[in-house]
This record gives sequence, C-alpha cells and structure tokens, in this order.
Amino acid sequence: MENKTSSNRAPKAGGDQPLPAKPKDKPAKKEGSTAKQEKAQKKAAAKAARAAGGKDNKPKGKDTTSATALAESKKLPLVAHLEERIYPPTTAGAPPGVHPLVRSVGLQFAEFKICGSNARCIAMLQAFKQVIEDYQTPPYTTLCRHLPTYLSPQINYLVSMRPLAVAMGNAVRFLKLNISFLGIDIPESDAKQKLIEGIDEFIRERIIVADRVIVQYGLQKIQDGDVVLTYSCSSVVKAVLLAAHQKNIRFRVIVLDSRPLLEGRKLLQDLVDAGIQCTYSYLNSASYVMKQVTKVFLGTHAVLSNGALFSRAGTALVAMTAYDRNIPVIVCTETYKFTERVQLDSFVWNEVGNPHALIQGPGEGPVIANEKAPLEQWESSPNLRLLSLLYDVTPTDYLTMAITEVGMLPFTSVPVVLREYRI
Amino acid sequence: MAEFESIVQDYKQNLAVDPDMSMPVAAVKALVAFIQNHPASTMVEFVEMVKAATQALKASSANAISLSAGCDLFMQAVTRMSNANLEDCREKLINKGTRFVEKASSCRESIAGLGVSFIRDNGVVLVHSYSRVVMALLLRAASQGKRFRVYVTESRPTRGGARTTEALRRAGVPCTEVLDCAVSYIVEQVDCVLFGAEGVVENGGIINQIGTYQVAIVAKAASKPVYAVAESYKFVRLFPLNQFDLPTHRPSVLSFDPPSPEVLADEAQALKWVAGNNPSVDYTPPSFITLLFTDLGVLTPSGVSDELIKLYY
Repeated sequence: MENKTSSNRAPKAGGDQPLPAKPKDKPAKKEGSTAKQEKAQKKAAAKAARAAGGKDNKPKGKDTTSATALAESKKLPLVAHLEERIYPPTTAGAPPGVHPLVRSVGLQFAEFKICGSNARCIAMLQAFKQVIEDYQTPPYTTLCRHLPTYLSPQINYLVSMRPLAVAMGNAVRFLKLNISFLGIDIPESDAKQKLIEGIDEFIRERIIVADRVIVQYGLQKIQDGDVVLTYSCSSVVKAVLLAAHQKNIRFRVIVLDSRPLLEGRKLLQDLVDAGIQCTYSYLNSASYVMKQVTKVFLGTHAVLSNGALFSRAGTALVAMTAYDRNIPVIVCTETYKFTERVQLDSFVWNEVGNPHALIQGPGEGPVIANEKAPLEQWESSPNLRLLSLLYDVTPTDYLTMAITEVGMLPFTSVPVVLREYRI
Repeated sequence: MAEFESIVQDYKQNLAVDPDMSMPVAAVKALVAFIQNHPASTMVEFVEMVKAATQALKASSANAISLSAGCDLFMQAVTRMSNANLEDCREKLINKGTRFVEKASSCRESIAGLGVSFIRDNGVVLVHSYSRVVMALLLRAASQGKRFRVYVTESRPTRGGARTTEALRRAGVPCTEVLDCAVSYIVEQVDCVLFGAEGVVENGGIINQIGTYQVAIVAKAASKPVYAVAESYKFVRLFPLNQFDLPTHRPSVLSFDPPSPEVLADEAQALKWVAGNNPSVDYTPPSFITLLFTDLGVLTPSGVSDELIKLYY
C-alpha cells in the first residue's frame, strides 16, 4: 500500500521524503529556500534519520509545527489532497469570534463524542440557534447581510475540527437560504425568531418526522423469521429494528462491526437491552455470516446523485457480499442526506480518520501485560505510513432499495427526488 | 361494512359488463359512482369515507395488486384536493374520474402504436399467457401487414395461451402453443419476449401471471430482449424485495400438507387442488426487463419510478 505511487508523483507532496530527524529542519523549509537546497537538506536529514535508525525520535505531539510537518511527511500520495487533522484535537486554534458553544460542539465532533450524521447535524443546528440568539447586528448594517459573515467563521471552525457531513452541508445551505430570504427592514428580534423557528422546523421535518416515516416503511420489510444484517451504527436502522421488535415480529439481527471506531457496539448494546436476539461479529466474517441473512439494512452518510452510497468504510464490502448472494440491501436514509455530488471512487473525497487509532485503539487480540503495542513507534519509521479512511463509496448496482420519507425507492430515482423535491 | 358492499358489487359488475375493462379502471369507475351516491357533510368525513371504500375494495379481492393501483390513484387525487371545499372537490373528482375511465380505453391503442415498431417483419415473438394490451399490440402489427410468428406459452392453470392462440389465428397470425416447460427449447429462435402486467412496481419490475419470471430468466439467459407492455394506471407504489414479499403471498401457498385421498383419486380435482396450492402471480425484477411500453412512452425500468414520483408528489 504505502509508497508505490510516490515515485512517479511530483515532489511537492513531499511524500517520498523520509521524515527529518529533527523538527528544527522544518521552519527552514518554510523560509522559501530554493527547491534544490530544500532537496539537498531533506536528503541530508534522511541520511541522518537512517543512520540513527529511528532511535532518537521523541514523541512530537505537543509541538504543532512539527505535528503538521509530520502529517505532511506521513501523507500517502494517493490521498495527499485530503485534509488530515492533528491528534489529540484541541480548541486552542479557534479564532476569537467563535461562539463558546460552537467550540464545545466542535471539540465533541473532533473527539467523535457526537458521531453520526443525524446527531451531528442536530447538535450543529442547536448550537447555531444559540449563536443566532446571542448575535447582535452591528450598527450601520443589517442582519440579513451581516449574519452570514458572522456565521462563516463558526462554520469554518467546525469544518476545521471535523469536515461537515454532507447532511450538515445541506442544513447549512438551508440556513443561509433562510437568512437571505429575510428582508432588510424586518426587526432584529423578529428575524432571529424566524430563523430559530426555521431551524426547529428543519430538525423536526427533515430528521425527526422523516425518521418516523422511514420506520413505518421499514416495518413493512421485516417479517417473522427474518435474519437482518446491519453494519456499524445507524440511528434510523436502530429505530426500525426496535420498532419491529416492539411490534412482536420475531427476527434476529447480526451486527457487523469494524475497527477502529467499533460503532456497532453502541447499536448492539441498545438492541440487546431491548431484548432482540443478536449476533455480533467483525466485518471480516461478512462472507461467512451472510449465508444466514435474509435482508441487509444499512444507514448512510450521504447518497450521491448517481445513486451511489457514501457511507462508513466497509459498507461497500457488506453490500457487495450481500449482492453476491442475492440478498436485498435496504438503505434507510432521510432525503436531506441526498446530494448533487457524484463520486466514482472513495479517494476523490473522503475523510481521513485518526491514524494512531489503527495501532493503539481499543485493545483487541491477545494483549500481554506491560507489553508495548507493536508498531507503537510507527511515526518514526520512514517506511511506514498509516491510512484510516472513514468512508467508502458503494456503487448503485449493489443496492436494492432506499427507504426515505418520500417512499421506498430504487436508487435510480435519487436524481428524480433531488429534482422534484428541490432538496 | 354494509354500505361498502354496493361498491364491491359495482366494481364486479363493471368488470362483468365490459370484459375489456381492466381492474384499476373498474375500481375508479366504482369509486366515482360511490361518491356520487354518498354525500358527506365535511371534508374530513369525505376523505375517511373514500379511504374506507378503497380499503373495502382492496379487501374484496384475493389478488388486489392491479385493483389497488386504481384505488391509490383515486386516493391521491382526493388528498391533493383535500384543502379545497367539499362540493368543489367532489365535483372535480367525479369529472376527473369519469374522464379517466373514458381515456383508459384509448390507452391500449396508444401503447400499441408505440410498441408496434419493435415487432419486426419476419420476427418471432414469444408471449406468455393472455394479455389484452399485448394482444392489441400484436393485432396492430398484423394489421400493418407485418409478417411475424408467435410462440405462446400454454400457461397453466389458467390456460391463457389457448385464448391468445385462438385470437391470433383468427387474425391470421401464425402461432403455436408451447408447453410452459418448453420455453427454453424455443427461446433461441425468438427475437423478443412480450409480457403484459397486472402491476408495474416502483422499481420497474412487473407483477404478472405466474410463470412470467421463469420465462424472463430464460430469456435473459439467452440474451433476448424482454418487453413489458402495461398501461400507466397499473403503476403501483409497491416495492417487493422478492416473491415472498408480495402482498398476494400467503403462508398457505405451497404448503406441505397433502390433499385428501378423495381429491387425489380424481384427476381433475387433483389438478385443481395443485393450482389452488400454487401462487397465481409472480414478481419479475427490473433487471430482467429491457423496456416497458406504456402510454407515457417507452420507458426503461428505472423510468417507472421517475413517473411514480412525479405522479404521487
């Protein structure tokens, strides 16, 4: 995986240069030395690093400049265009104008404490409600002209903590549209009231009520004796399964999960608590467990306009395995997750997760007391790069049905929904 | 429930009087008559009443797929108008419904006009069972002087094939009846396969007389184009995942309980028993269908969903 493509890439990514041994080398690079000098410098640094055998590397987490330098040199050329973040996340870099609530929400996003498109979208909108409430239009300007410029840094801050989900992007667009609809002569308090009501309505109609409708449709597709497989954790799928259990439908659930996020455990806990018969397994057993499965239920991060799914990494594998066995793959999604964007592979756009988690993470496998995890020193190893992508693209061929609040649709209808409903 | 008995009777009579009328049209006609005879005092009451009537209609038939398409269309018109005032709404519905019934009879002719170009001179067509709209298409082709031959499946237990061959022979089209189990034998000679449909579902798959799916699979294996011919009022908001997900599926179908010895002793009765123990319709997924000829035009299977979304939006 690691540097196969690096040799025929432009040197600008710095991808194939080993890590300089000392962080001091980096500022020098920034000072606009010529490319030749830079190359020579890097070579020397690489030599030093090789000679030292990686022994003299200290943990560099604290220093942000060295951390970015590290991130640069550890980037895979294939995904060099994707933004990587610094771990552990902090709110220290927040610009002064950012609302404290937005800061805290941003941190929770970055730490994956609030996770899942719906939860994140609701948290963001709730925060924006507070921001709007606390906002005061400066003199000589109007709310509808100034508020967007006030909101932008808040949104940018959230993006810097973790890229916005597609659904959140749609929500932001909705909010900005709402602001632009406000007339310039409307009193400030009325305008704010209108915006806040608009946000509440969005949350209610596009998420909460939509989920309720989806659950009703989903119930029609779970019958006695079904074995439902689901992957990772989707709030809508969970709601469907719980509702089916409440309706006394006798079915079994297989929860597939994968490292490093292990989100499926949250789902598993709730299903087991409700008394549903469950099996828990890792993604690598997908082809084995698929034999028993009658239906696959998935949630998603976004639905692209070519009908492809942009969802938690591993979803494509599950869908393809199911397709191979002629098992229907049903995706529960609200229409506010639909996007005009088209993507043919997972590299064009994706989110890079915490590479440290691949090695540290919650301890799996035999852990020997006091023993260091293998590859703990990966950052200092010039030949090793880690990549943790959070999402993947499932082509539309492998998907049977989308359950949305506007009905049960084939995935070929996604552009029609986008067009007819002007989402 | 007594007040809904009249509508069910009305519906059955519509079908009996005009054998060319299809179920959704008969349903709409019965519903129009129903609202003409049943005044309501408030809009809410009216909507509830129509809803109950459609449910009574659906419940009256064991195979309500086609029928429910008509009921749903009518219900959709009702909900669309439900914020108008009651008398206006009633009048509009009656007008709209009557116009729909009048227009429905011309649907088959317009489909025949669209689909006829797919029948080539010297072509060989395979049709399954009997379908009025497929017949309209074939007879149109014959009337245009196209020379083509037709294989017709016998399609037990209804023996729809016999009806088709008879009608085609009368029109001078050479045709022969093939056993349901001989489809794969003749498929290599066939140029295209034509199906009617009881219902066209959301993803562009069709629900049709039992055996359709089987023929479609054979046709796909032999890389022959499969054309489904259906009027747009047969589009239903239904999305079956597989055969067992059809609303017509009952646990009693294909049960493993043996028939009584008396039934087994009599051959005619035994055959009837087997037919009764079997499903009457099956679902053909969209991947087996090349094109659909409808009065909205010649559609790909995915186009059906587009039309349905527009219709029910």
